[in-house]
Amino acid sequence: MRLLAALMLALVAIPAAADPVRLPILVPVTGFLSLEGTSQRNGALLALKQAPAGLAVGEVVDTATAPENAVNALLRVLDQGPVPAIVAPMLGTQMLALMPTALEEKLPLITVSGTASLTEQGNPWVFRFFPSDRLAKEAHVRYAVEQLGKRKLALIYQTTAYGQSGAAYIAAAAKRHGASLVFSEGIDTDVKDLAPILGRAAGSGADVLLLHLHAGSTALAIRQVAALGITLPVVAGSALHQPATAALLDPKELKGVCAESGASPVSGGSPRLDRFLADYRAAFGADPDAYALAQYDGTQMLLDILAKGARTGEQVQAALAADPWDGVAMHYASDGHGDMAHSVVILCYDGLTRVPKIVQRYDGLDAG
Amino acid sequence: MTGSMPAELTVLAQLLLNGLALGAAYALVALGFVLILNATGAINFAQGDMVMLGGYAAVALARVLPVSGLVLLPLVMLAMAGFGLLFSLLAWRPFRQRPPIFGLLATVALGLTLQEAMNAVEGAAPQAGPTLFGPGEIRFGPLGLSRASLGILIACLGLGLAQAWLLGRTQFGRRLRASAQDPVTARALGIPVDRLIAASFMLAAALAGAVGLLLSGPYFVTPTAGNDLILRAYIAVTIGGWGSLKGAVAGALLIALFESVVAGYASSTVATAALYGAVLLLLVVRPAGLFPAPLGRRA
Repeated sequence: MRLLAALMLALVAIPAAADPVRLPILVPVTGFLSLEGTSQRNGALLALKQAPAGLAVGEVVDTATAPENAVNALLRVLDQGPVPAIVAPMLGTQMLALMPTALEEKLPLITVSGTASLTEQGNPWVFRFFPSDRLAKEAHVRYAVEQLGKRKLALIYQTTAYGQSGAAYIAAAAKRHGASLVFSEGIDTDVKDLAPILGRAAGSGADVLLLHLHAGSTALAIRQVAALGITLPVVAGSALHQPATAALLDPKELKGVCAESGASPVSGGSPRLDRFLADYRAAFGADPDAYALAQYDGTQMLLDILAKGARTGEQVQAALAADPWDGVAMHYASDGHGDMAHSVVILCYDGLTRVPKIVQRYDGLDAG
Repeated sequence: MTGSMPAELTVLAQLLLNGLALGAAYALVALGFVLILNATGAINFAQGDMVMLGGYAAVALARVLPVSGLVLLPLVMLAMAGFGLLFSLLAWRPFRQRPPIFGLLATVALGLTLQEAMNAVEGAAPQAGPTLFGPGEIRFGPLGLSRASLGILIACLGLGLAQAWLLGRTQFGRRLRASAQDPVTARALGIPVDRLIAASFMLAAALAGAVGLLLSGPYFVTPTAGNDLILRAYIAVTIGGWGSLKGAVAGALLIALFESVVAGYASSTVATAALYGAVLLLLVVRPAGLFPAPLGRRA
């Protein structure tokens, strides 16, 4: 009788398991963050493409830049039926807007946003597969202080929310590591002539220049540092690691410049990474960045959880919170607050190619 | 003290020189903006997006024709002039009998459409276009200027003078000015006002294309690059005098002066605040701008 009941249960379960799970991918593919958002989307889609047939089907929805766009996109998705998790936008303001709904609906949000405060809100439904700004800036400063032996830091940051938040973490990290911030100034994204600010940074007595800028401004700053003959070593933010940013510069302009990032897929370094690189290039005809790889890793973990039978938000959340994941970029495990990524790499350019080499890896970072 | 003076003067001269190149580019954008303003009485909020489109046209042309920007410049201007004609058919012609606000909104819509179209076609990543004189720097004694900036300066000066000649010394220019000042009388006198307005759009788009190419090399191009430029053009025209060509140039140079010199001695955020403070002050003490034009009074 029990055997019959088990057989009946299995028969009932088969069609349910065969139905593909809907996996909404809410990402900013238009607007000012569309470069990074497209990478995020591609990472998720590549993971889906490599998933067992019939397991899940992705639904890409553009969230653009406004928080209300993201909320509307999520509500539209939920109107069409339950989903076990969401690939959620990397834009911090959109994530903050989505979090109350996630809490209410018991819906895990899997993101690669760097905005540190996302995992400081006590919301158990957020899972971040990219090092937070807090960790990234810790590595940024530690490299300048510990590896380059510099103590007087000049910082040029963007006056956006991203830039100001990163600048605050850099200032705090500098204090922690006994360095002084002798120059710190913000610039708008529309500033084209950086010679004035670079001149003042170089004349401030600093022995290293830290950049925390978006992609275009990062490339402009590095180009103008080279043109002005400024000899300060430059350690840039993660925008530089993106192949599209490095492509704007001559390899000579990049010589000696370093940057922090969650990963550097184009640098290769392991058979799994090389395979990811080849698969990504084949699928999208472009080089991947760290956001694509992080979202690929996060989506693969999610798909593995789904393949093991999880179908509700609560089941997925429990697995994400408890299980570790050996990703392509790094080893992921929740710290109890939803931060899954705890490693940051420093990459440097040799002046001969636009492919950087990883020179330092910080694992288990905890900036407190 | 006396020993430090030359160094201080050198710094100031260097900041002025850097600002001059950017100011020249802003001036061309503002001139295109004023051309359409004078021809139609409407504000073309897509002028910045036309610059962006010109930048992408330069990037695309450089892919298939890897030659100097000097060779590509007339090609880009020609292509953009064609686009200007299309733009006039979409943004001005259907609304020419209606109040200027219709045309203004049409340019906003077309500008946003251009941005999203370029985002879809080329992606959001910044892209580098060609430069007129290649990479590197040229020294003028203690002062240095990048070849790209020198190219911007020379090209903008040449194009600005050519436009001044075209508008001031040719029959086309005289007819264009007559149409702008009083289209009804101009029509009665047999001047083809609609065709001249279409020509204004073509000229403005060609200028935008030139600026697009010139800026895409040293400063890159993105789908949203035009947003900053249209704001500067608008402010330049407000400072200079609504509808005044020389006012637009003066306003553009003043903006660049703030961005370069004030940013050099204070910070770029202080420079921006000081610029807008100066604009507010100017609006109070001289509301018609530095060089008031007749259109300003009409507007």
